[in-house]
Amino acid sequence: MKTKLTLTIFASLVTTALYAFDPPPVGTAAPDFSLTDAKGETYSPSQYKGKYVVLEWFNPECPFVKKHYGSGNMQKLQEEYTGKGVVWLTIDSNAPGSEGNLSADAASKVMTGWKTRQTALLLDPEGKAGRAYGAKNTPNMVVINPEGKIVYEGAIDSKATPNPADIPNSTNYVKVALDESLAGKPVTTSTTKPYGCSVKYK
Amino acid sequence: MKSAFRLGAYAIVYLSILVLAPHGESQSYQGKELVKAELLADTDAVIPGKPFTIGLLLRMAPGWHTYWKFSGDAGLPTEINWNLPAGWKAGEIQWPIPLKTNDPGDIQTYGYQDEVLLMQQITPSAKIDKSSVKLSADASWLVCERICIPGSAKLNVDLPIASANNPANQELFARWRRLLPQNLPETAKGNWSRIGSDLRLSLTTTALANYPTVGFFPLPPDNTAVGHPTIESRSGNEITFHIPIQSANKSLLSMEGLLVFGQQANGEDRSAWQITNAATASSADSTPARGIFTFLFFGFVGGIILNLMPCVLPVISLKIFGFVQHAGQSRQKILRSGIAFAGGIFAWFIGLAALLIALKAAGREITWGGLQFTNAYFVLFLSVIVLVFALNLFGVFEISLPQSATRGLLGWTGAQGEAGSFFQGVFATVLATPCTAPFLGTALGFAFAQSPAIILSMFVAIAAGMSAPYLLLCAQPAWLRFLPKPGPWMLHVKQFMGFLLLATLLFLLYVLGAQRGLDGAIWASCFLLFVSIACWMKGAFVVPSASVAARQISVLLLLVLVIGSGIYFIGGKFRSTKISTGSTQLAGDWQAFTPERLQAELEQGHSVFVDFTAAWCLTCKFNEANVLESAAVREAFQRHAVVKLKADWTNGDPIITKLLQQFGRPGVPLYVLYRGKSEEPIVFPELLTKSIILDKLETISHTVASQ
Repeated sequence: MKTKLTLTIFASLVTTALYAFDPPPVGTAAPDFSLTDAKGETYSPSQYKGKYVVLEWFNPECPFVKKHYGSGNMQKLQEEYTGKGVVWLTIDSNAPGSEGNLSADAASKVMTGWKTRQTALLLDPEGKAGRAYGAKNTPNMVVINPEGKIVYEGAIDSKATPNPADIPNSTNYVKVALDESLAGKPVTTSTTKPYGCSVKYK
Repeated sequence: MKSAFRLGAYAIVYLSILVLAPHGESQSYQGKELVKAELLADTDAVIPGKPFTIGLLLRMAPGWHTYWKFSGDAGLPTEINWNLPAGWKAGEIQWPIPLKTNDPGDIQTYGYQDEVLLMQQITPSAKIDKSSVKLSADASWLVCERICIPGSAKLNVDLPIASANNPANQELFARWRRLLPQNLPETAKGNWSRIGSDLRLSLTTTALANYPTVGFFPLPPDNTAVGHPTIESRSGNEITFHIPIQSANKSLLSMEGLLVFGQQANGEDRSAWQITNAATASSADSTPARGIFTFLFFGFVGGIILNLMPCVLPVISLKIFGFVQHAGQSRQKILRSGIAFAGGIFAWFIGLAALLIALKAAGREITWGGLQFTNAYFVLFLSVIVLVFALNLFGVFEISLPQSATRGLLGWTGAQGEAGSFFQGVFATVLATPCTAPFLGTALGFAFAQSPAIILSMFVAIAAGMSAPYLLLCAQPAWLRFLPKPGPWMLHVKQFMGFLLLATLLFLLYVLGAQRGLDGAIWASCFLLFVSIACWMKGAFVVPSASVAARQISVLLLLVLVIGSGIYFIGGKFRSTKISTGSTQLAGDWQAFTPERLQAELEQGHSVFVDFTAAWCLTCKFNEANVLESAAVREAFQRHAVVKLKADWTNGDPIITKLLQQFGRPGVPLYVLYRGKSEEPIVFPELLTKSIILDKLETISHTVASQ
């Protein structure tokens, strides 16, 4: 073992040793998951290779989520971008028994009652998808590009308040990220600090 | 008299109600009172011009909490907006040391439970012509339990204006003032440094000895996403925190925050020191990780070795003699020529680095995103490069520059003086390409996996190594006689280097084997065999002596061979090999890591050591062989009943990637010791020693025992 090491270390010295530094993570590769919606249909981000995918963490009881749904802001975004071929997956990672956890029935009711416009509202009571993405807030937003890499991660917009009156004066990071991506440009603000309620994990 | 007395008593009662019983408001939710808010002053009267303190007292229902100035992963800080009379001023909120809460899903928040007093200094105007004043503020907060409810209140406090006053609410203010952070004492030394995009804070203070629990509570600037600070090392009077920064912020050199001490986490006795940007910013440019130096040293040595190559070594003597002749023995002139020549070498290498960085940047935006060691095709690509250059060193084929290019380049070097020397430096390096390509090409291949800063410093180090002999000899031309005479031995050196490249190839095949199993390594080797044959054909048949037609046919055959075998072995056989799960690597008492497994072990009260490793990570292998698998360490793990988990990142498992990011690491190795559910995990340095592990294991057994 030691001689092999010495040999490889020496070889690396000659080849100028670049791999003595461990490589950066695939970091930008979006973790995959498989979740069902209220109708029992299964969805995974990997099935949408070639399309932009938005992940939105959701809790119908959270005032920060209500800020964007009560004002119609979220529905407008969902409608606009699904119209442009973007896949929008809303995910509820709250554990059963905690506020915001949705049964299939309740999920359907929220969708019709709130007139939501996402591709699907997915139920993640085990918190698997949420943990894979380290989603800590509702809302927490992720944008995945057609190659399956994360291009945006963080808050929905720049004003961390539960007040709907702040929406017109804030920068919507998800909108900017999607507009830039769809125009073939790199995303200028790719990581922000998400704000909102905590996801109630199991 | 009696009634006058009674009147006076009423007046006092009325006054005390007015002064001491402030106007509170409460926030209710579904019939339950969640938060009671009121404004309280630390004085019973205002003296014009004399500052005093007003506190917003929030009393939360059991289980509910409001947030600190930095709320953590969720929540919002409480806000207070004052409507003060003209000429009055309100200071910043003085935030008491918060409690740190960990919730499932690795959610960390900073806030207050039961009660908090947020104090602000109020400076009244110097002239007040009223007998009393009503001070009002709008307070808003977010109160959370399992669910979060925003609350707000319009609050006011009435105070008489007087020329003398007495303290009020003394017990309350004293209690909360005890929980305000202190300034960092002169005796404590703080030091910030940057590790990649992350921050590291090292503190030296004798106070550490008295507190088992120490934590860093960050106060990041707006729009900075900060990860959870971890303790990287703690021994004696020294503690080092790692603060992961998730949003790219190149100018961030330090961060405000609190250094919180206590006998236990979140204890009533907790105390804190304020870490300010100003106090420590001066030390921000401190030394980077040791790893970078080792690595740059290798680059430097690599650069010196380049000089031993057959087409470079003769150049050294020639150049130096040239300088000596032209300069007419003037030492200064010789040195200037030498520096200009070295400048040319640097220019070439920096240009090469810039090209590589640009390619990499372009690649990231387009399709080359997966150029990493975790990507088997990248490893395969490197194997091909290394093999081709090894064959080149053995003399199987030659890399040659087109003659016209050579002639054109030489023309440029005709310029006199330093400019001429500079271009000679550039072109000597370019012309040496046939000899340096095997190494530079390999380095370029490996460099693809690195960050721009590292690529650039690497190439600068190579340039420094390569130009060192010139600089040295220009400064001391007499040393030329120590230089080995060019001769056939150089060819042997060159061929021997080829074997070192083959050793590197073995290592790459080992990585491929770990990623794609034995089949993967074999199919890759088959492809490599055909690549070798193609190289041999290039050397044997694509030569100037052959006819043009023969050369064209050879090139065609060669391409067919490479592309055909590529499609068959790589596109077919290799691609169909399964991604190895890495479970085969588990030996001895190591168990496979999953986040659930870790959680379960911690729930059961076990201490857990996690080894984040990968087959291609040499540092990991070194640590495993020399430290983790050594008898002393194995025995210590067993004695302290530590559960050992191995997280294999060979294939870039996304769950492990996420965890590495949470610890602010760009990759493996990472070693983490979880001492229990509520304890901060200990993160070990990348290069382990037995004593570090043994020391930490000893302290852990203490913590566990005392719990």
